[in-house]
Amino acid sequence: MTDRAQYAPGPASAAQVRKDGEKWTLILVRELHHPPERVWQALTDPTHLREWAPFEADGNLGTVGRAAKLTTVGAPTPQVSETTVTRAEAPKLLEYNWGAQDIRWQLEAFGGGTRLTLWHNIDRRFISMGAAGWHICFDVLDHLLSGTPIGRIVGREAMKFGWPRLHSEYARQFAVETPNWPPKAAEGA
Amino acid sequence: MKIKLTSVYVDDQDKALRFYTEVLGFAKKADFSQGPFRWLTVASPEEPSGTELQLALNNNPAAKAYQQAIFQQSQPAGMFYTDDLKGDYERIKARGAVFTMPPTDVTGSSIAMLNDTCGNLIQLTQLARYSR
Repeated sequence: MTDRAQYAPGPASAAQVRKDGEKWTLILVRELHHPPERVWQALTDPTHLREWAPFEADGNLGTVGRAAKLTTVGAPTPQVSETTVTRAEAPKLLEYNWGAQDIRWQLEAFGGGTRLTLWHNIDRRFISMGAAGWHICFDVLDHLLSGTPIGRIVGREAMKFGWPRLHSEYARQFAVETPNWPPKAAEGA
Repeated sequence: MKIKLTSVYVDDQDKALRFYTEVLGFAKKADFSQGPFRWLTVASPEEPSGTELQLALNNNPAAKAYQQAIFQQSQPAGMFYTDDLKGDYERIKARGAVFTMPPTDVTGSSIAMLNDTCGNLIQLTQLARYSR
């Protein structure tokens, strides 16, 4: 796990927020050095998702109409959401819901690799948290695809790996207030 | 081991936060989100590091069924203690809350019951003090 110990995320980058009235959507783009077919597997196969994603899936997400349970990893109480895959065009487009939120993945072949785009509608108060979390997940995904997995970094674990800094950077980029999280030590436990 | 947190299910976390802070007078304590999940708590300004109340979204059938059943039986989903029941009753009523029971003397205490607008009855309790 030496690679994990040495891991530190780079600066906040390649994120946009689309503001449609009250509904905000986070758009993240990441260029990966692996073909869309491999990235597709990492996005849909539960054994691959377990290595990098912020949730566990109890079934493969690669088929339209597929219902599955997504368990948020590291939430303060166990959180299970029902999900249904609404679009699955391997290896290009994948859509499903995560609780009341919508997730869309687009995979574009790009110089032997994949340009991966995520759309995720997150409440504007928490959108910088989501951006920071996905940023780290994408780094972990990149390691996984490269054959040097460093293990999933989500929830509280992300705090040790630069999440607070990324969170502040994305909040600045999106011009949203940084919520008081994690709470300042001075305010007591 | 300490009792530091209790929860009520609510049908809308934003509406609940407004009611529990602006009407009841508590203060927001924790508010963060992980995926579709939002962890939201309030605490009493009289005891900022005291017990927190989690305002938990009732977004699953079991939570909804439980919440509706105890509401229909007039059971409170939560209970807060006060040293001034009549004063709190007037203050909270003036801010628009609907009480289903005005301050009432019962065994060992006085109680009042209000509707939190998020699917719950909340009881306010003032313990009686007896002179020997």
